[in-house]
Amino acid sequence: MRLRRRVAAWAKRRQGDDHLPFAVSSRRVYILPTRGGLALAALLLVMLLAGLNYSNSMAMLITFLLAGFALIAMHLCHRNLVGILVRGIGSVDAFAGEHARLFVTLENSADSTRIGLECATDDSELVLIDVPPDATARADIPIELPHRGRFPIERIRISTAFPFGLFRAWTWVHTPMSVIGWPVPRGRRESPPEAASGGNAPSVVRGGDEEWAGLREFRDGDSPRQVAWAAFARGRGLMVKTYESPAAHHRIFDFARVPGGDVELRLEQVSAWIVAAHSRGERYGLRIDGRELPPDSGNDHRARCLKGLALHGSGEPW
Amino acid sequence: MVTSDARGSIAAVVVFAVSLLLVAGSAPPWCVIVALTCCGWRLLTATGRVARPKPRRGLRFALGAITALLVIAVAASFRTLNGLAAGTALLVVMGALKVLEARSRRDDAIVVAVALFLVLAASLGGQALWRAPIYLLVICGACMAFALIAHPGSALTTRAALRLSARALVMAIPLAVACFLFFPRIAGQFWTLQQGGAATTGLTDEMSPGSISRLAAEYDPAFRVRFEGTPPLRAALYWRGPVLNSFDGFTWRRTGSWVYRAAPLDLLGDPVRYRVSLEPTNQRWMFALDTVDASPRRGVFMSHDRQLTAPEPITNVTSYDAVSHLRTRSTGPMTALGRDYETRLPEDRNPRALALAREMRARAKNDADYVHAMLDWFRNNGLEYTLEPGTTSVDSVDTTLFDSKRGFCGHFASAYATLMRAAGVPARVVTGYLGGEWNPAGGYYIVRQSEAHAWTEVWLDGQGWTRVDPTAVVAPERLQRGVYEMLAGSLPATSTYLHNTRWINRLSLLWDGVNQWWQDRVVEFNLRTQFDLLRSLGIDSPRWEHLGWAFALGMMAWIAWVALTLRRGVARVKPDRIGRAWLRATRKLARVAPPRAANEGPLDYAERIAMSRPDLAVPVKALAVQYARLRFGPAANAADVASLEREVRRLAV
Repeated sequence: MRLRRRVAAWAKRRQGDDHLPFAVSSRRVYILPTRGGLALAALLLVMLLAGLNYSNSMAMLITFLLAGFALIAMHLCHRNLVGILVRGIGSVDAFAGEHARLFVTLENSADSTRIGLECATDDSELVLIDVPPDATARADIPIELPHRGRFPIERIRISTAFPFGLFRAWTWVHTPMSVIGWPVPRGRRESPPEAASGGNAPSVVRGGDEEWAGLREFRDGDSPRQVAWAAFARGRGLMVKTYESPAAHHRIFDFARVPGGDVELRLEQVSAWIVAAHSRGERYGLRIDGRELPPDSGNDHRARCLKGLALHGSGEPW
Repeated sequence: MVTSDARGSIAAVVVFAVSLLLVAGSAPPWCVIVALTCCGWRLLTATGRVARPKPRRGLRFALGAITALLVIAVAASFRTLNGLAAGTALLVVMGALKVLEARSRRDDAIVVAVALFLVLAASLGGQALWRAPIYLLVICGACMAFALIAHPGSALTTRAALRLSARALVMAIPLAVACFLFFPRIAGQFWTLQQGGAATTGLTDEMSPGSISRLAAEYDPAFRVRFEGTPPLRAALYWRGPVLNSFDGFTWRRTGSWVYRAAPLDLLGDPVRYRVSLEPTNQRWMFALDTVDASPRRGVFMSHDRQLTAPEPITNVTSYDAVSHLRTRSTGPMTALGRDYETRLPEDRNPRALALAREMRARAKNDADYVHAMLDWFRNNGLEYTLEPGTTSVDSVDTTLFDSKRGFCGHFASAYATLMRAAGVPARVVTGYLGGEWNPAGGYYIVRQSEAHAWTEVWLDGQGWTRVDPTAVVAPERLQRGVYEMLAGSLPATSTYLHNTRWINRLSLLWDGVNQWWQDRVVEFNLRTQFDLLRSLGIDSPRWEHLGWAFALGMMAWIAWVALTLRRGVARVKPDRIGRAWLRATRKLARVAPPRAANEGPLDYAERIAMSRPDLAVPVKALAVQYARLRFGPAANAADVASLEREVRRLAV
């Protein structure tokens, strides 16, 4: 294990950080025989000795044919990985104790299917995908989150034992990235009461009963999906569509005001409030570590609030 | 219903079953039947027709008990676990048990490996050309099974796996040939396995009336001979085998001529050089053209009567180069002991023959005259050459000469030698083969068991041992024609039909020629032929290093060829102008903050920069928005892209 880490660290020094998208060049594909490959090598050695011992030409021919086959298998394995395009890497965070997901999108520009590509991080299980010719496929790697906080992912390993399982070729993708484990939503305290909203903070997310509230300037954090491209095309600049809830009430969750001694329990309590408010479709804001997220609703807002909780005490900006 | 996961198991079992058929001849039938039954059951469970019992402790225990039982059974039937046949049987049994208990992909792979081992065992047992495609088929199946086992439930179709395997094997052929030619061989063995006891065939060291005519019905080749230069006349092709010099009135036996000192032999005329490739007989006789000069190789014993004996029974096709002279002479005298030894006869057997010999010797001037007079007697007394001489008695020579007057070569040789010995002329019987069938497809002679022959040698002072073939005077055409042409009526109908139907015979000769090429050039390829090959490539004094160099060069050329053939163009990803501008911006910003994570969107990233460097908040956020708009919005125009590039250039950190 230690050796493996040292080799990986050496590969990182050698390759440097990767910028997506990139094609896997042969310089960074490593290959070694698998256990099955080593067993076949042992079998071939026995065959060779038997053939030499008895001057048996048939056994020698069979041995050499299989040896050539194994070398071809090595080339085929190497070739299955070289030239594949790492299109993008995305992630979805999750609550501690669950699995975050890491998405690796691979693209195959060759004219045959690349079969049996395995994607994994250092600690995750292998995820197998096939990438058809001129197409992309996405590996969905589950990442275990034992506790809240940021989990850096040093490298992703893309490997293959195609076609005969005798060799395994692999490459490491080094892109600085991480997934976040949110505090587990847990706690029985009443959530803070709702406060009347000024009604001047329309949401960009359309809920069930929300009404059209007009366009506003594009702000940081807005998703391109909400951009009013029709307006943009008319030359009115980058605008987003907003919607307003008829009941424009909201809650503010202030971490400093959550009673209790244990920080983790308090974080879990806030997490539970956020989840509950989100599921009711309410608007809510979060105040923590001297930062405030104004009241809003929607998945992105929920994720941002939970991320704020997750990174509490880590000292890093979020 | 075959699930895609079961394909690997099914392929493994099928490959194993086919490899069982390869060793069916050498492994005991019960082993093969047990193994095939296991394969059948496994196929039924893999295809879901029969439910498979859950792995339990009891089941494991039962499997262990069966294993022990089968190993004991193998050991009991062979009385050893060493040796090729016992090893093969053990492998078959172990493979069958693995088939029974296989549950994981690793187990399936082990079954395939056992199948490959069985191919090895089969090839140690037989290297005939017709076996080669079957071996190849099993190997291709094994490769396919490896692929299917390695990729359960993937997009790999069975057909694609087969195609991949076949292609890889075809591409491996040049390497296999190069390795075969140049991989340094060793001379001799470093480890020996017991060979199984096969039945003995061909001539033995005994000859009774009828033992030669039994061989005449066998169409199998005894050996093949390729002459250097022009072959001698057919009538001179006497292939010397066991020399018999002890007669009890019925059976001639070999007791060895080492009891007396043989006279030195002068070789006359031109030497005849040839290469014999002997079929396995499980006996030690080696055959050479009469009279061979010397032992063809170390370990082969040449007796004083010029009989070659191998150190071990011949169980594989064995080739040797030999030199012979068709004419010889011994001027030295025969010792008294030798004369006594080579004229011994049982006094109370064959009384009429003994009387005839004494009477004729009294009339002859000398031994040579007597030899010719007796040949005339054979010619003029209505003897008939036949495969079915009828019943014989203890006085077998009297029966042949005076009662039935019918005999095959063995009867006449026996009778003639008896008549010589009775008159005090040293004589002995030589068994071997006469003639051979010319194969125009391969340019060599095939000598079949049916050409088995027996003749006599008599000692004449001043001349030495001289061949006298009484059959040649009874049936002179035997010198020119094979038994199959002469005595078709008394031979098995199928083999005479095969031999005498022209196109079948021609086809079988062609097939024999191809096989002989395989035998000569492939099976018999060894260190010596390897050096001959180097010599023909222009290396005058080949050494091991040359082989190593040739091997390394061939290997490198092949690897280069494979790499070129299998190379697949690596797609180059060049980011477009928008991407390049953004990359430049993130590189600039990497100097002031941790670099952008792969899964971090441009707006998130700008937000993060703004947190750590509020002074950069405005330009970086503007840049990120501009980039996101160009990247994810509708098609960007050139002016917008140029503006983005300008902004990136202006960004100062």
